[in-house]
Amino acid sequence: MRGVLSMLLAVTAVLPCAAEVQVFEVLGGERVAVFAKDGAKAAVLVFIDTECPIANAYHPELRRLEKKFGPQGVRFFMVHADPETSVQKAAKHKEDFGITAPVVIDKGQKWVKKTGATVTPEAVVVTPDGGSVYRGRIDDRYADFGKKRPEAKTRDLELALTAVLAGRPVPSPRTKAVGCRIFVE
Amino acid sequence: MNQRFLGIGVLAATVVAGAAPAEVTFNEHIAPVIHGKCSSCHRPGQSGPFSLITYKEVKKKSGTIEEVLLDRYMPPWKPVNDNVHFANDRRLSEGEIEAFSAWVEAGCPEGDAAKKPEPPEYPSDWYLGEPDLVVRMQGEFTVPAEGRDIYRSFVFPVNLPEEKWVKAVELRPRAKAAMHHALFFIDSERQARKIDGRDGRAGISGMGFLRREEREGGIGGGRGLGGHVPGAVPALLPGDLAMHLPAGADVVMQTHFHPSGKEEVEHAELAFYFADKPPSKPLIPVQVPPAFGRLAGIDIPAGQADYTVRDHVVLPADVEAISIGGHAHYICKEMTMTATLPGGKEMVLLEIDDWDLDWQDRYTFAEPLKLPKGTRIETVLVYDNSAGNPENPHDPPQRIKWGRESSDEMGSVTLTVVAAKRGQSEMIERGIRRQTGARALGAVVAGIRDREKQLSFDYHDQDDDGKLSWAEVPEAHRKGIFRNFDTDSNRVIEGPEAAALGKWLEGVRKRGRR
Repeated sequence: MRGVLSMLLAVTAVLPCAAEVQVFEVLGGERVAVFAKDGAKAAVLVFIDTECPIANAYHPELRRLEKKFGPQGVRFFMVHADPETSVQKAAKHKEDFGITAPVVIDKGQKWVKKTGATVTPEAVVVTPDGGSVYRGRIDDRYADFGKKRPEAKTRDLELALTAVLAGRPVPSPRTKAVGCRIFVE
Repeated sequence: MNQRFLGIGVLAATVVAGAAPAEVTFNEHIAPVIHGKCSSCHRPGQSGPFSLITYKEVKKKSGTIEEVLLDRYMPPWKPVNDNVHFANDRRLSEGEIEAFSAWVEAGCPEGDAAKKPEPPEYPSDWYLGEPDLVVRMQGEFTVPAEGRDIYRSFVFPVNLPEEKWVKAVELRPRAKAAMHHALFFIDSERQARKIDGRDGRAGISGMGFLRREEREGGIGGGRGLGGHVPGAVPALLPGDLAMHLPAGADVVMQTHFHPSGKEEVEHAELAFYFADKPPSKPLIPVQVPPAFGRLAGIDIPAGQADYTVRDHVVLPADVEAISIGGHAHYICKEMTMTATLPGGKEMVLLEIDDWDLDWQDRYTFAEPLKLPKGTRIETVLVYDNSAGNPENPHDPPQRIKWGRESSDEMGSVTLTVVAAKRGQSEMIERGIRRQTGARALGAVVAGIRDREKQLSFDYHDQDDDGKLSWAEVPEAHRKGIFRNFDTDSNRVIEGPEAAALGKWLEGVRKRGRR
């Protein structure tokens, strides 16, 4: 019952400061505005960490998702959940793991707090009205710590994006992400 | 050092007394535990994915640490039996875990700066000091950024002109994030180097080349050279014990990689520490079931969650057990070895209730365990081939039989012993071989029966509906069977198709008997 309720809340929750949701300061200091003029249909915030092995192992999959959904109007942002991640460290990490999406260092953990993300990697899908329509795992490859499926059976983030683009409700708007717990300062 | 043990002692005493310490702080309570049980692996240059030494490092990871401690995922330690003491036990006590939770709950206080512990010191280079010999693996292997786990074996040409006795080996991998673990085998006939690189890349694919090792019962036992497992620190064998490395032999490293998200290149170094003389008694591997279960008839129906394999041997003389470890693949879930002494007293030697292929360690007894002649050593292995097992390599589940690939199964527990009395080693080896030899003959007979059984339609029709579905036919025969008998290509052999297949199998069976 509580699960259903929290799911409903997640679906309908509109993030505070909807206007602010649209601006991301990416690595290098540039400010990227989403939804404003580029006609984006959704933004995906993926919370990452340079040291989390589970988050790191997902970069190839995230690259693939970005390649598939980018041209359809979905903007991906890789958000370092640790606010003390240095620009140099984030830049080297971007290079090492071949990250193609813009990278954000979450100063003051603004995005962590707004979205309620708790682990890395965790994905949050935001729509132009500022609503968060999905929060959770990228897929179910990790059943638990040390319990890894040979291949993912349910690709939750992909299903969520497909639904959003088709104008349908997201099938499971809230899933549990397995990964490294974000330390909230 | 003293300070560290004092710290743990004070903490444990307070927790045992039932009262949480007034305030759990990093400097006083948490650092000694983390430095003692985590930092040997979680430090720069080692296999832990992040360093856990300073206050800030531990604070940032505190939520994750608490979660993996409560889950007992970390520190990696699979045995759950407490009746025997293992050396280098990495587990945290309940009290230590409770104190960690209390520290997180209190907001991770650092504590009195005057009580700040010295960071642990590690030899900067090799853990065991300057090695007697360092060899490098033949060829470089590129681990891709993503994909399924990779099992691959690599050859270290050692080229020693004379035999040596090995006290320890220590590995220095280059692909640190991707290398999960490695096991070392002696290849005295230098067979592996002949097939190294056959598929165009350095090394040998899969787990399949070690036939001789299977015969002789190797993994980490008397004939292997142990393994490299994250979290386990290399250690010299106790007393005058040492492992034999014949002149001219190669070492083969069976390696398990987890792609880490970025491409890495493996070109590992292996260090040897030699004894200056042969041991007074050789190490004897007592592997139950023998040959990693090859003769144990492992044949696990699709969907079965508790398939059990049992086997035993009886010790032909008094021995002292030195170490114990198991081996199995993905769907094994439980593994137990129990000694029943001649008087009937039972002693659990190893119990693993959540087997994980990723953490196959060997566990050395803190003191050698005396086991008298006539002791029955029994292994029980339980496999979960259901869809509910996330590590099942097949989706949907398929029948799994004994085999060398990671999607096949095998399983055994190896107890490494020495003879209690000098001069009895050969007799013990012979006595154990005789028992396993009799088992082998039985298995050959069972194999013939099994082949006959497999030539029957009803045997494969697991749900007794008179039809054979795609999943019911073993993968190896699927293509042939469906091409020849599934005339309407609906992936079900039914009606007249089933009759035709049944008739054909009957013919093969009759020809086989003649």
